[in-house]
Amino acid sequence: MATFEPVLLRNVGVEGARTLKVYESRGGYQAVRKALGMSPDEVVEIVKEANLRGRGGAGFPAGVKWSFLPKDRTHTLLCVNADESEPPTFCNRVLMESDPHQLIEGTIISAYATQSQIAYIYMRGEFHEQFHILQKAIDEAYAAGYLGKNIFNGDFSLEIYIHRGAGAYVCGEETGLIESLEGKRGWPRIKPPFPAVEGLFRRPTVVNNVETLSCVPHIIERGADWFTGIGPSHSVGPKLFCISGPVNKPGCYEAAMGITVRELIERDDMGGGMAPGKRVKAVFPGGVSMGVLSAEELDMKMDFDDPRNYSLLGLGTAAAVVIDQDTDMRIVLRNMARFYGTESCGQCTQCREGTAWMHKIATRIAAGAGRLEDLDLLLETARNMGMMPGLSICGLSDGATYPIETIVKKFRSELEEAIRSQPAGRVDRVLQVLN
Amino acid sequence: MPKIIIDNQEIECRDGVNVLQAALEAGMEIPHYCYHPGLKVVASCRLCLMEMQMPHPKTQEMGWVPKLFPSCQTPVRDGMICRFDSDTVKQNQANCMEFFLLNHPLDCPVCDQAGECHLQDYSYHFGHAESRMVDQKLKTPKKDIGPRTLLYSDRCVMCTRCVRFTEEISGTHELCMVNRGSRAEIDVFSGHPLDNPLQGNVVDICPVGCLLDKDFLFKRRVWELNGTSSVCPGCATGCSIRVDQADNHVYRLKPRFNPKVNDWWMCDEGRFGSDYVHDAKRISSPIVRRGLDETTPAWEDMPEILRFRFEEHVREHSGESVVAMLSPFMSCEEGWLLIKFIREIAPNATLAMGPVPMAGEDQSFPAGANGDAVKFTILKEKCPNRKGIEQLIASAGGNTLSFEEFVGQCTEGKFSAGWVVGGYPNEWVDKATAKIASKFQLLVVQDLFENALMAGAAVVLPACAWVEREGSFMNAAGLVQPFERAVQPPDGARHDGQYLYEIAGYTGLYSGERVRELMAESKADLSVAYEAPCKPVHAH
Repeated sequence: MATFEPVLLRNVGVEGARTLKVYESRGGYQAVRKALGMSPDEVVEIVKEANLRGRGGAGFPAGVKWSFLPKDRTHTLLCVNADESEPPTFCNRVLMESDPHQLIEGTIISAYATQSQIAYIYMRGEFHEQFHILQKAIDEAYAAGYLGKNIFNGDFSLEIYIHRGAGAYVCGEETGLIESLEGKRGWPRIKPPFPAVEGLFRRPTVVNNVETLSCVPHIIERGADWFTGIGPSHSVGPKLFCISGPVNKPGCYEAAMGITVRELIERDDMGGGMAPGKRVKAVFPGGVSMGVLSAEELDMKMDFDDPRNYSLLGLGTAAAVVIDQDTDMRIVLRNMARFYGTESCGQCTQCREGTAWMHKIATRIAAGAGRLEDLDLLLETARNMGMMPGLSICGLSDGATYPIETIVKKFRSELEEAIRSQPAGRVDRVLQVLN
Repeated sequence: MPKIIIDNQEIECRDGVNVLQAALEAGMEIPHYCYHPGLKVVASCRLCLMEMQMPHPKTQEMGWVPKLFPSCQTPVRDGMICRFDSDTVKQNQANCMEFFLLNHPLDCPVCDQAGECHLQDYSYHFGHAESRMVDQKLKTPKKDIGPRTLLYSDRCVMCTRCVRFTEEISGTHELCMVNRGSRAEIDVFSGHPLDNPLQGNVVDICPVGCLLDKDFLFKRRVWELNGTSSVCPGCATGCSIRVDQADNHVYRLKPRFNPKVNDWWMCDEGRFGSDYVHDAKRISSPIVRRGLDETTPAWEDMPEILRFRFEEHVREHSGESVVAMLSPFMSCEEGWLLIKFIREIAPNATLAMGPVPMAGEDQSFPAGANGDAVKFTILKEKCPNRKGIEQLIASAGGNTLSFEEFVGQCTEGKFSAGWVVGGYPNEWVDKATAKIASKFQLLVVQDLFENALMAGAAVVLPACAWVEREGSFMNAAGLVQPFERAVQPPDGARHDGQYLYEIAGYTGLYSGERVRELMAESKADLSVAYEAPCKPVHAH
């Protein structure tokens, strides 16, 4: 494979990359000058041509999202989704703490393309350091006249505000994020109306992920053809991959899409292989919500299409977490179920009750009081929560079912064996205590 | 009017409604919790999901979309085809019911809502017979959230109707959600209990037994109650209500849907303002005095006694010395009958309007709203039929007086025979009014409770509370609404309509409708505004 030259991460590790001076010296803020010389629609067209698909998880083309905005709108708002709440994902964090000006530049171009005069960066509450780094970069950009009124001495004005979340997973969902920004409970909204028509403060709103916006300056600078030339035709552009778990070099790496999970773990310039004495047992390749791969499925390609062939929900955030052979899948199951049980917003019945129920069952199994029929019950509950599109207001419900369903299906023999080896009568005793 | 097809059945629906509303109006039973026609749509219970036909994106052929749509959120379009009878839809309903009941304590035997509970009904119709959850149920607390309301959060289905009510209708924002996911609960902010003049409605709109009325708590099983259509006499708004009684006792009042008056709501003042009906101090038998002689005649003899005494008085004095004071608590029918009797005996008798109780200022809701934003109003005029009685008096013509003029002229001794109607739930005879009793030779006082006029009265007649009567009230907006009799008067009393009917010279049983016909015959303009009760547009 040809060597890949990092694009998004090109400034990572460079001394002083967080400062405006170093960023500009490495070619920064050229794209925005170029974009401001074009009409907003031209910028939208270029991004559309580049087929930049959202990096936040759903993979919806960003340019198409922008073109949903009503033509006769007066106010538009841009929200930058920096909530990054999907477990094992930390690529936005790397972008914000290592190269904050890249995000600011992407935000300015996107705001210009969508004619937004205000951009809100909705930042995960736990990002303390990143908040200060990004705020400092924003202050620098203001001081340089790159933000505020008539930026770059042109007609366009843009204010950027950072809003810090309070730690809810569901606030990473675009309408949950909007509600939270408005100061309400982070409850995803019913659609229609879609945010592009009526979003934040009832204004047309665009919500894009940090990584998506960070791609925009490069697309403007190097052209759509350059962008579509990277990776397979359906999944173009550079992409950040996170890898964590018992690998030699956990971290965030950039590559073209289409690399396999095995490559991500094994390659020397990426995961660097498993830690001594550890073997892969399972991998959650796209953030936990996409589901799990068994050790036999490591040839899955990390792009927008291939995960479906492995009964996963999608590429997700492309953040892989590796489970080693010493980890009990019952514990993994419980951990997954616990996360969704505590993070479901509680609006839709199926998700609210289903996630909590699965958590209870998984906890009991992990405590050594599982029943064989619990596995079928888990599968059925998962199916009842997401048997058909439209069951719930947002996608959290689907995201909650995939890990549970894939763990139970792909590791059923292990779970069954563990249940069979429980001491006789234990289930009855536990159930007696519980009720 | 758009026509849509639901479950192969073509129904015609109102413009701008959603599919769920259209289906409910067509008489279909579609399970739903979070949807209420008076509140914003949140589409969160996911119980009313349906399937819909749409053109295929490539072939444009109509076909079922492999997706479920919330029928509460989908507006009707002409030619739309939807279904609720497919396996997928039914499966989802059953799954939802299982989910709703996972942590429910199943305490129906001690739950006030049992019998009118939509968890019971839907579970029976759409759900599973048994729960498959063997684990421990989540226990959430019972909370005292206000002076009149309890919240048993373990029975809650999180439909958020109550929260939306306090946001959108009362505008007082007391209720909120706390916690997340399955641990979410409805709660009040500490130090701010649910205490607003409309708070009782949250109990009505709660589809399950979560919000409970302290006043009704553990009083009666709901299937023992009988409901009667009535009108609230608490203020001149005249909310359409239902009186729920059992064993001749009024247990609770519930609002009845009426888009022209109160929509789905009523205020606490009206809801809890009927205690006087069962007050032990009510007068229950008539008294007739002649000199020192005091008797309690049989009701059958009353019309003759009264007619005789009045005729005697008119003969000995003059028709001009006769006055009748009508009360704004009388029904239109009773007012008309009394006027008819008085004017027959003495065509130049004077008619006076009784005092109109006022309290404070009009209150509009949501709090602070005005104009079109007003969703509910409690009027300061605390009686149901001031307008109706005033119109009857005006239409009768001749000598008429306001209450102040009546007291003034009585004090001057202008009248020597009078018929005074009370019926006020509270004490209404002030010191000045009490003095007029001595000016009369023949005074008939008709009231619920003993008052200062009665000592000097020749005839005391027990009046009945509105739940014991039948008739109609005209509200402040001029709408005439009939109300039915819910309970029997106290032993010994007879309802006002009946004896006034007989006194006015009719025989047989009084019926409000019959009197309205008579009124229409005598004067057409008294019958025009008669309003038939409207059909509810909502199942619950």
